[in-house]
Amino acid sequence: MSDDIILETKGLTREFAGFAAVSDVNLQVHRGTIHALIGPNGAGKTTCFNLLTKFLQPTRGQIWYQGQDITGTRPDKLVAMGMARSFQISAVFPYLSLIENVRLALQRRLGTSFHFWRSTSSLKHLDSRAEELLKSVGLAGMGHTKAVDLSYGRKRALEMATTLATDPVLLLLDEPMAGVGHEDIDTLTELIRTVAVGRTVLMVEHNLSVVSTLCNTVTVLRRGEILAEGSYDEVAGNPQVIEAYLGASDE
Amino acid sequence: MQAFLSQVLLGLINGAFYAMLSLGLAVIFGLLNIINFAHGAQYMMGALAAWLLATYFGVNYWAALIVVPVIVGGLGMLLEKTVIRRTYRLEHLFGLLLTLGIASIIEGLFVNYYGAVGRPYPVPSMLQGAVNLGFMVLPLYRAWVIVASLAVCLITWAVIERTKLGSYLRAATENPPLVLAFGINVPRMIMLTYGLGVGLAALAGVMAAPIYQVNPLMGSNLIIVVFAVVVIGGMGSIMGSVVTGFGVGLIEGITKALWPEASGVVVFVLMAIVLLIKPAGLFGKPFSGATLALDPEARPPLAGEPRQYLVPILAMAALLIVAPAFIYPVFLMKVLCFALFAVSFNLLIGFVGLGSFGHAMFLGLAGYVTGHVARNWGWPPEFAILGGTAAAAALGLVTGVLAVRRQKIYFAMVTLAFAEMVYFFCVQAPFTGGEDGMQQIPQGKLFELIDLAQTMPLYYVVLCIFLLGFLIAFRTINSPFGQVLKAIRENEPRAISLGYNPDRYKLLIFVISAALAGLAGSMKAIVFQIASLQDVYHSTSGDVILMALVGGLGTIFGPLVGAFAIVGMQQYLAPLGQWVVVVQGVIFVVCVLTFRQGIIGLLARWIGRPL
Repeated sequence: MSDDIILETKGLTREFAGFAAVSDVNLQVHRGTIHALIGPNGAGKTTCFNLLTKFLQPTRGQIWYQGQDITGTRPDKLVAMGMARSFQISAVFPYLSLIENVRLALQRRLGTSFHFWRSTSSLKHLDSRAEELLKSVGLAGMGHTKAVDLSYGRKRALEMATTLATDPVLLLLDEPMAGVGHEDIDTLTELIRTVAVGRTVLMVEHNLSVVSTLCNTVTVLRRGEILAEGSYDEVAGNPQVIEAYLGASDE
Repeated sequence: MQAFLSQVLLGLINGAFYAMLSLGLAVIFGLLNIINFAHGAQYMMGALAAWLLATYFGVNYWAALIVVPVIVGGLGMLLEKTVIRRTYRLEHLFGLLLTLGIASIIEGLFVNYYGAVGRPYPVPSMLQGAVNLGFMVLPLYRAWVIVASLAVCLITWAVIERTKLGSYLRAATENPPLVLAFGINVPRMIMLTYGLGVGLAALAGVMAAPIYQVNPLMGSNLIIVVFAVVVIGGMGSIMGSVVTGFGVGLIEGITKALWPEASGVVVFVLMAIVLLIKPAGLFGKPFSGATLALDPEARPPLAGEPRQYLVPILAMAALLIVAPAFIYPVFLMKVLCFALFAVSFNLLIGFVGLGSFGHAMFLGLAGYVTGHVARNWGWPPEFAILGGTAAAAALGLVTGVLAVRRQKIYFAMVTLAFAEMVYFFCVQAPFTGGEDGMQQIPQGKLFELIDLAQTMPLYYVVLCIFLLGFLIAFRTINSPFGQVLKAIRENEPRAISLGYNPDRYKLLIFVISAALAGLAGSMKAIVFQIASLQDVYHSTSGDVILMALVGGLGTIFGPLVGAFAIVGMQQYLAPLGQWVVVVQGVIFVVCVLTFRQGIIGLLARWIGRPL
């Protein structure tokens, strides 16, 4: 069963000046699932996410990805291993065109990214693939627009296209619905469902209705520790989880 | 033993000044989020004000200790309120450029009125004499400086730990973006903080007056050492600045006693070691990942499509080909050397957002190497130029590995400090000829064919080299590598998440930039047959920043136009002497405040296409 697990943490702990933001978390993400990490504010979701994406180093514990220990791996190395992340605040390259945005994710695999003597036109053959990806997220025909001119929902879509361009096996999404307008939530939910086919998705998300429609497995964090895990209905019925959510006045 | 101890004591005294100055810098940085390049000039103002008050008004030392920091700190507050405040929403870089300009204005003005000679300031009568400690004789005044500066540091620390101003400051060092956003709502707090920082610098100046000769340039070299101290300590903690300041002074003193030749560079070597082992500095915190929300209008624009530049580049080449018919060719060659230098600098600042404030090290070192191999080893000019360029690239690699480990705000200080180290090296190394410079560098025959001693062939060779360097830079911007650079500048965390390691890309562009600056320096050595300390000095690093700024940061043609403007101005205003420094400072300030797009940027906006 163990090769069924794509991402696993063992005793993952991160302390900030004596305060354990994430404490002894043992998380298992199964291949092919959409897995959500939820919890009240301050539960350690974002810290946990940043540990998994290697943007933070753990104080203790290990992270295993596809049977490999990645605890000491640099974040930029993860892409080549099939792991891609998104950001809470939509992360695009604002003054580059949409094509250029997506192409940046595609060009890494050419191995010419240090070639300062080569012309940019050597990247032109990637444009059609970039257009395809843009189309798949509903941005067809906008390739020459600058990212800064997009609406927030569309920036999210662009970010998704760029993330997909790295051809990830495991997608880590940091609050994909944060800041997205009501009218765009359904579209984005569908988009995530589409891209999750044949992939594994781990997402941190606040919007519980999105989590309930999208995710197979839900892990609830509270004060840096795992409180409950199971299907959405299981954890939603867990009295401790209810208490954690209702008890948290700032939620 | 006596000699050793007195060097150590001198080191401690220097350390006292490092501590007070780096403390002031840290306080200002904490709330304003800018590196105050004018800090050295304000320290000098403190010393000179004490001297002026004593000479013309008979104000004694003890009164000056109170009055001078209040006056200079007050002037600082005025400066903050009227000028510096306008840069808070701009990129960090502009805050640096602005205070650099202010420093030039202050220093230039004082040199004009008081000359560069040192003036003695008497030790106050109460502190004259010395006590014999048995193992050494301790001059009273020096003991006082150490005790008093320690007290000042502790009081500052207490203010920061115990008062409301302090709590803002501490919050600011924890989370600059948050408090900057918050701080803008309390402008008075920021003004007071700047005044406090400047007052500390002035107080240090008054205390320094009886020890060092009072002269208008006393701050400009000191401040670079203080920057190195700040990089060593990191700006995370107030106590950290104090401990680092005294510690570095002490180490410098011990080095001076044991190995005098190395004492000038030991601070910079320490800095390099710290950057290797603990990039955030001894007391600094690693980068939190927080970035400021910037005014989008404030950033240099990205260049357009390569093909849009075809016609303008051909036009530029054509103009430069016919130019000697109208303009004195030697002047043109000087412009082209500096233009290539500015191209190399602009490549970093304009396209990656890295401000190298020590770029003269590449220009100057390459000139020396080219001169040396051409004159002493008999290398033909083509190999001499290649040799100089390679030396600059190698220097770029070594300094770049260390410099890119630090985030943007420190990058300027690290590069400036390394350049100072190279300068000290060039002052002492026998092959450079020290103050006299390296003279009579042979021009020789290029490819054993073109006689470079004749002006016109030389001009066209220089033009070819310039165009080559220009096109290398242009291609670099418009390459797959250039794309990644743009991505890193636009959104570094996102670039990492797409699989790019920013440090490697920054390192490569830094080496390319160093090599191009080296090419410019080598060419300059062949053209003028001389390599001098001036080309390694920090004022030359300042010149190239000004050229890029005036021409237009992040534009393709800006560096050439900026070089024309500044070299022309220096030539034209040369009879004014030190006033040139003041004029340049004013141009800096005006450009940062009202003319950030530069000449070419403005032109591009008029005609509605990138240039």
